[in-house]
Amino acid sequence: MPPMNGNTISGEFFLRNFNNLGFGAEIIYSFVIIICSLMIYFGTKELYELRNYKGIKYFREAFLFFAIAYFFRSFIKFVVNYFNVSAILDISQREFGFAFGQITLLIFVYFSSMAIFYLLYSVMYKKWEGNSKVIYLFHMIALIIAIISILFPNPLIHLSINLIFLIIFSIIAYVSHKHSLNKKGGLYIVYILLLVFWILNIIDILIPKFLQTYQLAIYLSSTGIFLYILYKVLKRAGN
Amino acid sequence: MKRGKLEIIKDLLKTIQENNNSIKATPLLRKSNLSTSRFKEYFSELEKKGFVKEINHNGEKFLSLNEKGFKFLEKYRTIIDFIDEFEL
Repeated sequence: MPPMNGNTISGEFFLRNFNNLGFGAEIIYSFVIIICSLMIYFGTKELYELRNYKGIKYFREAFLFFAIAYFFRSFIKFVVNYFNVSAILDISQREFGFAFGQITLLIFVYFSSMAIFYLLYSVMYKKWEGNSKVIYLFHMIALIIAIISILFPNPLIHLSINLIFLIIFSIIAYVSHKHSLNKKGGLYIVYILLLVFWILNIIDILIPKFLQTYQLAIYLSSTGIFLYILYKVLKRAGN
Repeated sequence: MKRGKLEIIKDLLKTIQENNNSIKATPLLRKSNLSTSRFKEYFSELEKKGFVKEINHNGEKFLSLNEKGFKFLEKYRTIIDFIDEFEL
């Protein structure tokens, strides 16, 4: 057996993982979502700085949270595996994999929940502005969901939590749109779709076999929604 | 119809711009259709955000737009369209 060096480790990593279509697709998918989210975040920087409009602030931060969440969803796995961090830290791959998986899952669920909450808040903040505790409540709920995701690997619990969120958020988004003076945007449908695919993404991670057949379709649809929002942002922000 | 905060800011800045970027506080207040107290609130916000500056000319105080003020006027439509589009 030839001596192992950095290149052979990296080469093996590529062969081992990139022959696996699922992993490759997940990395590309996460990369596209991260890029889209960061482009939305930085593309709206000037608009926000000119007026410090809170709705734009929460909207931007929602996408920053999406970028962080997707970084921890899978892109970081690529970085850690590529640089063989478990060998550097001298920990067995199994122990490292388990601990790393739990931590990244916690961070992913927390930040993606916060992203959805902030997106909702960006639309609703005028009605909820009087109550400054809403943001803290969001942080708390996101943390609780993240902890539940780790402590209770029960598909039924995850499905129930996410279905409750889907119903509540859809009602809020619809009612808010109905009472909005401006109805030309019609983006609430996109927001609801974003929420649906966020839930499918969560289920895909927490219950991998549940949606395996449709994984590629979920990736493509979620990417489509992010690209559509990015297109709308760039068109309006004029960057 | 009641003007929104963004529209009031735009109107104040536009009035300054249309007066060769130099106007005294009293005529600006008159043209703004705001009460004195609300005008003061808006004016201090404009100053704080760096949209306007006070210039002393022969002992008289004039208000003038800063670069950020001009930028705001240029981007005002974009900001409004963005807020409308995303229902923010």
